[in-house]
Amino acid sequence: MNRLPLKLAMVVAVSSLPTSIPAATQVSPATNEASDLRITQGPEIERADPDFAIIRWATNNPGGSPEHFGVVLYGTAPSELNQSAKSPIRLNPGHSQTIFRVRLDGLKPGTAYYYRVDSIEATGKRDGVKSPVKRFAKREDARLTLSATPS
Amino acid sequence: MPYAAFSGPIPSVNLTMIAYPGTVHLRAGKRTAQRYTYSPFFPVLQYNQVQGLFFGGNFFDSRATGYLLRNADAEQAQHPPVDTAEMGFSDTACVALRLSQAEYRPLFEQVWGRGSFDIRFPPETERICNTPGGAAIFGGSATPIPLTPEDRTRANVVYDHWAQSIDAYGQSLEVSAFSSKFDAFLKGNYKLTSDEMAGLKLFDGKGNCNSCHLDGRGTTLQSGQTDTGAAASVNPLLTCFGSANEGLPLNPRDAIYYQTTPDAFGFTGNPLGFGYRDLGLGTFLRSGFGSAPNPNSTWAQFAPTTDGQMQVTTARNTAMTPPQCPTTEAPGPYFQKEFFHNGYIKSLKQLVHFYNTRDKYKYNVTSGHCPPGTTEKVDCWPMPEVPNNIDMTTGNLGLTDKEEDQIVAFLQTVTDGYTRPYPNRDTFTGACTTGGSARTQGNDVLIPTPKLPPCAGAVCAIQPLPNPAIP
Repeated sequence: MNRLPLKLAMVVAVSSLPTSIPAATQVSPATNEASDLRITQGPEIERADPDFAIIRWATNNPGGSPEHFGVVLYGTAPSELNQSAKSPIRLNPGHSQTIFRVRLDGLKPGTAYYYRVDSIEATGKRDGVKSPVKRFAKREDARLTLSATPS
Repeated sequence: MPYAAFSGPIPSVNLTMIAYPGTVHLRAGKRTAQRYTYSPFFPVLQYNQVQGLFFGGNFFDSRATGYLLRNADAEQAQHPPVDTAEMGFSDTACVALRLSQAEYRPLFEQVWGRGSFDIRFPPETERICNTPGGAAIFGGSATPIPLTPEDRTRANVVYDHWAQSIDAYGQSLEVSAFSSKFDAFLKGNYKLTSDEMAGLKLFDGKGNCNSCHLDGRGTTLQSGQTDTGAAASVNPLLTCFGSANEGLPLNPRDAIYYQTTPDAFGFTGNPLGFGYRDLGLGTFLRSGFGSAPNPNSTWAQFAPTTDGQMQVTTARNTAMTPPQCPTTEAPGPYFQKEFFHNGYIKSLKQLVHFYNTRDKYKYNVTSGHCPPGTTEKVDCWPMPEVPNNIDMTTGNLGLTDKEEDQIVAFLQTVTDGYTRPYPNRDTFTGACTTGGSARTQGNDVLIPTPKLPPCAGAVCAIQPLPNPAIP
């Protein structure tokens, strides 16, 4: 006998399959890129520990690939932002605002840092957001949940 | 088992060792049993060049790629029978042998053709298949049955067809039922309660859960707005098929850490002990320890940017339990489940609280060592097992306690069995648990993490190296 009709018959007999396969529609969509990306909140220090910090800011939704990276360029002088940190976030296509948060590990206690922020798509393409250079100080006694305002 | 959405069916295992004992009972894996429901809908693993992301595959580390069969779920089915920590067959041809002896052999032949089992198994096959994989006697061979090339090919075809049959079952309404309250809501046949609706709004809005657990809804919900959008997908899968490192602490209860000496067959499950780190997708892309061969060498370059990432599972059936234990949450009566890849989280309340406060209550300690005056999982989250590539979409969401509960209420609406009974959900014969609080559920079995040795070279010194280096 021909195998194909038999296979089909068996599939129908042993299972009732959904009538549609939704997989293709479930992958995160790439959204339209914003024409005028701007920072709407921050950047600010969400948390500062002796050797660790989280910097947070918000923009209007940049669009583009579903995964983005918040990028922080930082250093101990405003003209020498020679270190960088980046953290991934997922865009929510339906949100008008996107929050970026970046983890900075290995900071030196008692040191003042300068930083500015940027964001990129997962492919490395820059979103084009610009922030001023800001400063924050790492105190020896920084408390675990300190929420500091950039100075 | 069906009552746990084809995930871990034994509450005591979920509470403690988290990975399930295999056919050789003193062996166990390293991760929680991933729910089987809806896994057939995951696409073949792909690296999307435009989006710069991996999508699809099955298992937490996506190692069931579907690369060969073009079906990730079928390849997922092929792993457990020959996984040394699970069913432990020593050779994939043992699957063909056992099928040829099974009472449902005629059914298999009816579907896949008479002659499927025309394989000349040598006399020692039975002995080989009765000896677990990894046994020293096999000298590392994955194909110890001495089949002719022609018979090896036939056995491989049976192995593939068997996996495709399992996939067909998994895709059927017997397993992936689309029968939840949320499905009924999407069709206009169920009115969410006020807490469930609030939870959905938070899921889409402040909680940002649907940035990856896609629910097919319109999501531009601001304060005071009502979700009136039609579903973009009538049967959303509540996953994006992607992967993320959520920064889970190392779970010292995980059975993998204790399999450091040879068993009776000369097999050592984890010679690295606590030097093992679960890098998930990153280890798979390096074809590393405890994973599977990466079939696409061009993917290996992405290992450092995927270290620590685990597949984003569907939120569907997260809350499924046996009917007599109607919830996952203390005080119950509840059915103890385990959440995330290493089972560190023991209730949905904890799961949402973790997403909400991971970074707010971050401490530089390992599990079991939270400072005096704090309570682990309540106002102390130990450091992540893998500090690289931690997803920062969540971690400090600012949800209130009530809002956390409302998201839990919504998660309970995506459990199958509302519009029609979920098959065989009533087969749990154990006892429910009662008492305590969902916030601290399972904390009474926390153990202190020992002083961790550095990440073993077999995990962290494989090119391309993790960047930065993992302690």
